Amino acid sequence: MSCERIQEKLTAYLDGELAGQDGSVVRGHLRECATCRQAASDEAALRDGLRSLPPVDPPPSLWAGVQAQLAAAEVADAKRPAWRRALARWAPSAPRFAAGALVAAAAIAVLWWRTQRAPDDAPGPDRAIATPAPAPAPAPVPEPGPPPPRGDITAELAAEPARQTEAYGDAAEELLALATEVRGTWAAEQQTAFDARLSELRGQIDRAPEGRPRQKAWRELIRYLQGAIVRDEIALAGGVP
Amino acid sequence: MSDLADTAPAVPSPILAEPRPRVAAALADDAQLVAACRRGEARAMEMLYHQYKRRVFGMAHRIVGASDAEEVAQEVFVRVFRALDKFRGDSALSTWIYRLTVNAALSHLAKRGRRQEVSDETLGEMPAPPAVERDSGLAARIEAALGQLPAGYRAILVLHDVEGLSHEECAAILECRVGTCKSQLHKARARMRELLTPSIGART
Repeated sequence: MSCERIQEKLTAYLDGELAGQDGSVVRGHLRECATCRQAASDEAALRDGLRSLPPVDPPPSLWAGVQAQLAAAEVADAKRPAWRRALARWAPSAPRFAAGALVAAAAIAVLWWRTQRAPDDAPGPDRAIATPAPAPAPAPVPEPGPPPPRGDITAELAAEPARQTEAYGDAAEELLALATEVRGTWAAEQQTAFDARLSELRGQIDRAPEGRPRQKAWRELIRYLQGAIVRDEIALAGGVP
Repeated sequence: MSDLADTAPAVPSPILAEPRPRVAAALADDAQLVAACRRGEARAMEMLYHQYKRRVFGMAHRIVGASDAEEVAQEVFVRVFRALDKFRGDSALSTWIYRLTVNAALSHLAKRGRRQEVSDETLGEMPAPPAVERDSGLAARIEAALGQLPAGYRAILVLHDVEGLSHEECAAILECRVGTCKSQLHKARARMRELLTPSIGART
């Protein structure tokens, strides 16, 4: 075996990882080759030197620094609005969510583009006659009236406002759960005021027509809940109630 | 036979891996310690700190250099305590903490654009080895050579040779294959030998 091959095996040999004949081959080569023997001897000395390096003691200030930074981080947590903490719980899955969202957006964009292009691409003599002089038409505009060739994307887009409203509802539910948790710590009159305002805002949502007005009503409820939770947290952190 | 034995050159013999007390008992202790830390028990947190301070600070010191070691070690401990909820116990606590340390040290170097070298001034700031060190000359030369290695080589040498971890543990920490770990160690030691030539073994 060449010196090069032997030297490739030296690390494993010296660490006792070459069993049986492999070890014997290296040992036999080392008996005869002074260069490889020197290399093995050097590597063994290096390995032993690394193993016996003294531990490095940290300065006493390290623990104090860790404690101070932890305390600062906890105070910052306490001051952070609950909705942002709730958001932070989603943060680890954010990259995956973003990637999924990107793929979905690309797919919708392609579908939309094909939907818009379909009439232009349709070949046929009638069409050629109907448009003898190609006008410098701007970007294609969706035509009103008859349904576009691919109805699924239209239905999907039509369902979008309802989905958004549902998302507002989910966010409000989560905030409401947080607010209900802290409500128990409030004075009776604060609780009554909170309940009254909550019921008023819920009434607004029920009365608002579907679509944007209802979404606006949801947003108002969300803002109110966020405010209530933040005020509570600032009070807990020793700030202005 | 005896003549042959007398005249045969001395061949460096392999040293079998030293037994490393670990695994089951350590995992059970880890679980208790982690549970107490999650409850915010100050004593448990301090115990965890003292248990790992030398390993974390030592790793940081040897990867990023003396001047930034405290900053990196502090960042690691804060991350450890803040992220204990995410520690699922799939690996040993030590493996998880080593991984956080290596990642923090390497990203610190990346941020500073200092992947390749630790400056001479930084080496000068390294504390002198304790008096009990038998071969301080070699130790100092090794520390200096470590500082000249690429950061990745430094990490594998410190984990495997200084900290005495197995290839499997190193691979878990560095999130690579065991084979990659072995070949990186071989290359790192070869580079160290070049840096320490001539005659690493010459005692001062």
